[in-house]
Amino acid sequence: MDSMIHDMAERLFRDHVSHALREDAAAGHCPEALWTRIEEAGLHMALVPEEAGGFGVPAAEALRLVRIAGAHGLPLPLAETLIANAVLARVDLALPGGRLTIAEGAGLRLERRGTAVHASGPLTLVPFARWADRIVTIAALDGADHVLSLPVKDLTVAPAQDLAGMPRDDVKVDLALTEADAAPLPRSLGGMRGLGALVRSLATAGAMETILSMSVEYANDRVQFGRPIGKFQAIQHYLATMAGETAASRTAAEMAADSYDTPAFALTVAAAKIRAGDAAETVGALAHQVHGAIGYTQEHALHHFTKRIWSWRDEFGTELDWTRELGRAALSSPQGTFWHFITDSTAQGTPA
Amino acid sequence: MTLTAFPPPPPGADHDDLRQEVRAFLAEELADFPPEKRAESWNGFSRDFSRRLAQRGWVGMTFPEEYGGHARSALERYVVSEELLAAGAPVISHWIADRQSGPLILAKGTEDQKHQIVPRIAAGELCFCIGMSEPDSGSDLAATRTLATDVEGGFRVNGTKVWTTYAHVADYMILFCRTGKSEDRHGGMSQFLIDLKATENIQISPIIDLGGEHHFNQVIFDDTFLPSDALLGEKGEGWSQVMSELAFERSGPERFLSSFALIEELIGVLRQDATEAQQAEIGRLSAHLMVLRQMSRSVAGMLNEGKNPALQAAIVKDLGALFEQDIPRLARSLVSRPAVPGGGDSYAAVLAYTALAVPSFSLRGGTREILRGIIARGLGLR
Repeated sequence: MDSMIHDMAERLFRDHVSHALREDAAAGHCPEALWTRIEEAGLHMALVPEEAGGFGVPAAEALRLVRIAGAHGLPLPLAETLIANAVLARVDLALPGGRLTIAEGAGLRLERRGTAVHASGPLTLVPFARWADRIVTIAALDGADHVLSLPVKDLTVAPAQDLAGMPRDDVKVDLALTEADAAPLPRSLGGMRGLGALVRSLATAGAMETILSMSVEYANDRVQFGRPIGKFQAIQHYLATMAGETAASRTAAEMAADSYDTPAFALTVAAAKIRAGDAAETVGALAHQVHGAIGYTQEHALHHFTKRIWSWRDEFGTELDWTRELGRAALSSPQGTFWHFITDSTAQGTPA
Repeated sequence: MTLTAFPPPPPGADHDDLRQEVRAFLAEELADFPPEKRAESWNGFSRDFSRRLAQRGWVGMTFPEEYGGHARSALERYVVSEELLAAGAPVISHWIADRQSGPLILAKGTEDQKHQIVPRIAAGELCFCIGMSEPDSGSDLAATRTLATDVEGGFRVNGTKVWTTYAHVADYMILFCRTGKSEDRHGGMSQFLIDLKATENIQISPIIDLGGEHHFNQVIFDDTFLPSDALLGEKGEGWSQVMSELAFERSGPERFLSSFALIEELIGVLRQDATEAQQAEIGRLSAHLMVLRQMSRSVAGMLNEGKNPALQAAIVKDLGALFEQDIPRLARSLVSRPAVPGGGDSYAAVLAYTALAVPSFSLRGGTREILRGIIARGLGLR
């Protein structure tokens, strides 16, 4: 079952996510037909428990879809929909179907007005908001985290975009929620920032694997001074460095995915997001160095991948946010026990 | 892409009970061991410490019981190794034998060699060194010139080895040398197990490193006679035997924890009162360390399953050396205190020691250039 959904996703994306489709999406056109295929395959439900309509695959396996989507530069909110459905299912809110997205709700204000709850405030840089039916977010009511399912048609959406031309919209919320759209989150899955950071780390690892293989292929094909440039030691060392960074980033993202929904997640996801950001710096720069001028053009596919990994660095907590958070945790370990902090933070969590 | 896949270590790899036992042992053993000694990391030498560690069953852990070992997994051994390194314990006396020479003898040695040598390694009694590099054969190992020629009852060896770590105290050497001519650049090489205390015509002289330390040696073989039972493994198969040791040699926690004493000092200084910028740098350092550890444990898991993850090991060593070499720079960017060799303040002394040690980290055990070449070959570029 696990490998079946991966194979299905791999085939679907290979057949349908072309350079032209990514160009078209960056120009503002939502690839509706492809989304229909994704829904028909059921990929958007993979992180939902079996009793809520999922396939019953382990979370880490379901999350692997995000790495595969990243490897193809999928211009649709599959990762966001996976997380949104998982969070809604956790609090027994209805799974509405369709494209969903997620947002950090720290800027939202919730207040009781009679029996209703009124939500107001901004959600910034919401991925794919204008292509989504609902935004799933987490905000505090009476000091406790609540999951909200916000219908996009009732919100004000101001379009904006990320470096890769993907929708990252500014949203104004001002509406009364019914019980059907809000529920207390009994135990934190890590908050939307953590969950968003997890999927961005996984997608970054996937995109970097594609960047690496494109770069190796180019180095083997491109001839200068009478031989493929991949025969020059300088180029080989660039590519070896890219491989190391990609491997580290993938290991970090998978470590976080393996600790999804366990206490270890808070620190492993910080490490994953930080490591992905550092790797994005090196891998992006070296990939363009290997490709030369052709890689700097719109015509070449490389930019769809490098621009994505550069964008994802800043989403769901910047590197500075995450390094400070992990650093504060490390420095709060008692004198002489920094090593214990490291072993505890990477210990295998007990699944909840 | 398999090159970038590091499967998670198997369930139960944490071995928490064992870890707590090792921590308690080290807390007692090293109660008075000062930071500037801990800074020597796995270059610290103490036969007594190695013997006491062995008494607890923590040397030769993965060796079969028949040969004095403890039949434990590579992941249990990993727990002990990383705890020793994090504490800065003086381990070199048994480290090389435990890591690679013992496993090599077990894999390629005769029953006599196994029974005579391996139990003494597991008892923490034997220190091994590796005779590999030569004056004209560094990264280019195939340029080895030291030659063992067949004579009545054994071999006669002539040649010079250099950078032989701890040869001046070691009991045995695993010698890599030429035993014949071959069309193949990698052919005609063999390995020998040499009893350094009982073999005549070997001159060992110190090479002092830039930190003033005596770790390296030059070892000259001058018509040195080795009995035929000194041959280790197959004659002519030395190259492939050496290559099969590399995954053990390159993937362990010693490839990213060599500067750990300085990390502890640095965090000790910052713990009370760190700025946001300092917190962020410690956060970045922590993330890199968590990930390197996971990659290294992944390789231990693959070794435990009998795979040969030489490529993944090269990646761990390359990234690990970058990490551990960067620590003095990071310390200087966060704390304004000069390095003072043997200085009264432990931060100053540990910074001084580590600053002088780090250039070797991307040279020993395979240079950065060699590792990147191996990775490039794995990518299909050669």
